[in-house]
Amino acid sequence: MTVPTTTPSHAAPTPRPPRIDVSPRRLRGARRSRLDMKVSPYLYIAPFFIVFGIFGAYPLLYTAWVALHDWEVGTDNPTYVGLDNFTKILSDSNFWNAVLNTIGIFVISTVPQLLLALVLANALNKKLRGRTLLRMGVLIPNITSVAAVAIVFSQLYSRDFGLINWVLGFFGIGPYEWQAYKWSSWVAISTMVDWRWIGYNALIYLASMQSIPRDIYESAALDGASPSKQFWRITIPMLKPTIIFTVIISTIGGLQLYAEPLLFNGGASAFLGGSMRQSQTVTMYLMEQFYGRFQFGDMATVAWLLFLLILIFSAVNYAITSRLESSGKRGGAK
Amino acid sequence: MNKRRRDLFAASPLTFLMIVLTVVLSIFPLYYMVVIATRTNDTIGTTPPPLTPGSNLGDNLGRLLANENAAFMTGMINSAVISLTLTVSVVFFSTLAGFAFAKLRFVGRNKLMLSILVTMMVPAQLGVVPLYMMMAKLEWANHLQSVIIPFLVNGFGVFMMRQYVSQSVPDELIEAARVDGCNTFRTYWNVVLPALRPAIAVLALFTFMAQWNEFFWASLAMGDPSNPTVQISLQHLSTGYYNDYAQVFAGTMLSILPLLAVFVLFGRQIIGGIMEGALKA
Amino acid sequence: MGVTLRRRSLAAVAILATAALGLVACSKSDDANTGSSSTEQITLNVDVFGNFGYEELYKKYMQDHPNIKIVERGTGGQLGDFTQQVTQRIAAGSGLGDVLAVEEGMSIDIKAKGNNFVDLKEYGAAELSGNFLDWKVAGMTTDDGKIIGLGTDVGGMAMCYRTDLFKKAGLPTERDKVSALWPTWNDYITVGKQFKANPAVKDAGFLDAVTNTYNTILMQEAGNTTGYTYFDKQGNYVTDSNPAVKKAWDLSVEILNAGLSAKLQAWTPEWNNGFKNAKFATIACPAWMTGYITSQNGDAGKGKWDIAKAPGNGGNWGGSWLAVPKQSKHPKEAAELAKFLTSPEGQIAAFKSKGNLPSSPKALDDPAVKAAVNEYFSNAPTGQIYGEGAKLLKPVYLGAKNVPVRTAVENALRTVEQGTRKADAAWTAAVADGKKAA
Repeated sequence: MTVPTTTPSHAAPTPRPPRIDVSPRRLRGARRSRLDMKVSPYLYIAPFFIVFGIFGAYPLLYTAWVALHDWEVGTDNPTYVGLDNFTKILSDSNFWNAVLNTIGIFVISTVPQLLLALVLANALNKKLRGRTLLRMGVLIPNITSVAAVAIVFSQLYSRDFGLINWVLGFFGIGPYEWQAYKWSSWVAISTMVDWRWIGYNALIYLASMQSIPRDIYESAALDGASPSKQFWRITIPMLKPTIIFTVIISTIGGLQLYAEPLLFNGGASAFLGGSMRQSQTVTMYLMEQFYGRFQFGDMATVAWLLFLLILIFSAVNYAITSRLESSGKRGGAK
Repeated sequence: MNKRRRDLFAASPLTFLMIVLTVVLSIFPLYYMVVIATRTNDTIGTTPPPLTPGSNLGDNLGRLLANENAAFMTGMINSAVISLTLTVSVVFFSTLAGFAFAKLRFVGRNKLMLSILVTMMVPAQLGVVPLYMMMAKLEWANHLQSVIIPFLVNGFGVFMMRQYVSQSVPDELIEAARVDGCNTFRTYWNVVLPALRPAIAVLALFTFMAQWNEFFWASLAMGDPSNPTVQISLQHLSTGYYNDYAQVFAGTMLSILPLLAVFVLFGRQIIGGIMEGALKA
Repeated sequence: MGVTLRRRSLAAVAILATAALGLVACSKSDDANTGSSSTEQITLNVDVFGNFGYEELYKKYMQDHPNIKIVERGTGGQLGDFTQQVTQRIAAGSGLGDVLAVEEGMSIDIKAKGNNFVDLKEYGAAELSGNFLDWKVAGMTTDDGKIIGLGTDVGGMAMCYRTDLFKKAGLPTERDKVSALWPTWNDYITVGKQFKANPAVKDAGFLDAVTNTYNTILMQEAGNTTGYTYFDKQGNYVTDSNPAVKKAWDLSVEILNAGLSAKLQAWTPEWNNGFKNAKFATIACPAWMTGYITSQNGDAGKGKWDIAKAPGNGGNWGGSWLAVPKQSKHPKEAAELAKFLTSPEGQIAAFKSKGNLPSSPKALDDPAVKAAVNEYFSNAPTGQIYGEGAKLLKPVYLGAKNVPVRTAVENALRTVEQGTRKADAAWTAAVADGKKAA
């Protein structure tokens, strides 16, 4: 319970030494402040729920409704089929292939991404020459629009004209078609994702690190702690809420990966993720239902399954991350 | 001892090198874009690819602005309005809600926060078609409302601010404010907000960037080519039968300038030492 | 605390501005539709992809009908994005233009969703049937007899080739001689091997992408024999039993085994680069492809291309119709406009503007069309080359799920091209994946 506020309810209007100009209407002030304490939290969080309630909840429910129907785009009579769509999708090997691709790309891109972002933020936190410019420099990838990035990376990974194959050529490695194989397309897409998001996450960590007071580090250094020990024992535990934040955000974003693999594959049916669905993610599979097969019902079903997938993964990742830090590290002040 | 103390916060040469390398890699695609934007269209696709800027920028820009199909300037203006509006609203509402969730006690606090997290996990494509139907019914389709109103506040901002507030604003500060007679809003406005400055800068920057670069929903809701956002306008340039990449990248370059401006504006907030920020104790 | 007040008002202003924006933009809704009185000012949106060449026609129409304003949307855009937008807008029930271009690939689906489109018989389409090639009319007539589209152009089929590469490889470059080289596809493969045997052109493929050639062969075969491809006329899935499909597949595998393909993927930036960098010597060439080649290769390629007859007989790739969605608030005016644009005069104008081959026999016989030559393609007589073929075209029945099945089969073929699967395994996969997509 918070410390009771300024005035006891029965106080007579005895003048007190004014700290900040507090109005003499103390009784009303007291009631107002109790009302304020009770109501303001709800007022403050209301805007989100109002906006979501109107523009988020209705589409959600509508999509759930669609998922229960065999509903082709443009048809006048969708047929109610209950959970049949779910059974159908869950027994489609292409769906599970997409799930595998999504999780695979997610793991090999996110884990190094966040670690590198931490290291980078730590480095950027130090005194550097031209540090403003450098800090701004790492965010440039995130400013560049996805389409521009995709064009550039497609050029880089292009089989005939790409820079990467050109360099590999010097080592005698034949021109590689990166889109053709599962592992190579995963790696290529991960580099695109990482390139884009490392700086972003680094900046989030940096803003956080900057509120860690320097004297903690100093006293630790005086105690003989090496920089790496300081990093693991002070910085990371104190960043725990932020780390959890980035892990969850990355999970949510990573499992919905769509633009990068889509543009990487290119061509007329890019949402198929390659000639053998090498890099088709769940979202691309979702789009295939809608744009490729014109099945509104199936699309809605996949959307809900994706939602479930994200929920599960976020919960798992949250559990892992919060456990990792909680070795009772009360690092320092607070 | 003194030397050790100095070294503690200085970067080793290796670290410096690593950062520089990272920055070079980060900037390279952008640099490549500038190269293409300043050359003629034929130079793309040659091996090895060109690596120095040319002198065709004016030419490419001229074609870009004359291109009626793209309505580029309209796109820039629309995007500016959208991004600015949403940046202000998202920051305001997110800090408010984040503060409430982090520092105020009320019934259902944890459950409501969890529910917000859950809403963030809803895939973007899930509600897109019904939302578009709503926009059509409200006659907002192809008008700016369709890309602004549903996004006035989002879970990401609330979640982010909540984490920052809980991390950077100590309880004692809040209590001190109360003792001094501040009501909740004053506490928020005078005590919490200043302490959140770096986080607000980051959120504002991210929100502006995200809205500026947003494409998927805009392509649905603002599909009318005469009233596009800047990304849609770029899309119309780059997916034509005739791929005039030089024009596209010239446009992309222009489209990045406002982002860079915002970046510079808020970047100082993040970067300029925030030592004095939170713990004014 | 003046500062607080100022800050507060700033926030208030921001919120008000948001609201104000909403109100202002809300009240700006022009296009107050309704009213079928012909003097009311109305705007008609024409949704297209690529280039239909209608600019001059719009001007004329607007002159003759001062109360109508025509806005073309999507000019120069890619077909893939266009199709996706159409799907979205059909699903959402709004957003489609008053006149909608429907390309061959999507026409089957549009037919299946025929209830979303106006039956143009209500506006006299039945009387116009003589204006179009029979199979073109059939293409957009639904099973219950509604005519929902009026034909614009047809693709036709020829073989575009690079004279510079042919010369280097020691092959003849004059178009009649080239046409004589390959009366059948087997001859085409033989010429290809000859081409590849010449070290002077070792960096170039004989053709761009095997899937393009495969589809060309398939449509030809199907037109000349069975009359259908992946689905028979009763709607059964027949990929494995249709000899036309197997023949096309086998020929394509032969092409791959002979190393003739440049192994590109159509509609990617790499493929576009392929035009510029002379990565392939021939490409299956419907009439509209000539326009594409011209823009991709630019001035550098002028005079380096020519057009010969395609191997085999007939064949068609692409071609569109104009439909009027029921979403339109001005169906009558939209139908009139569509009729105008697809009239023989309209088609001739489009041909003159963008080289799109008319689907109207009358237009095809027009002397201007017959005598047309394409300067870029070494003055090839496009009117003749394509015009004849168009009239001889035999329709091919494509099932409702043609697009996903075709994609599945072509993807399987592509794995052979990429070297990730052997031909037999790929064929099994093609049949199986196609069935799944059906």
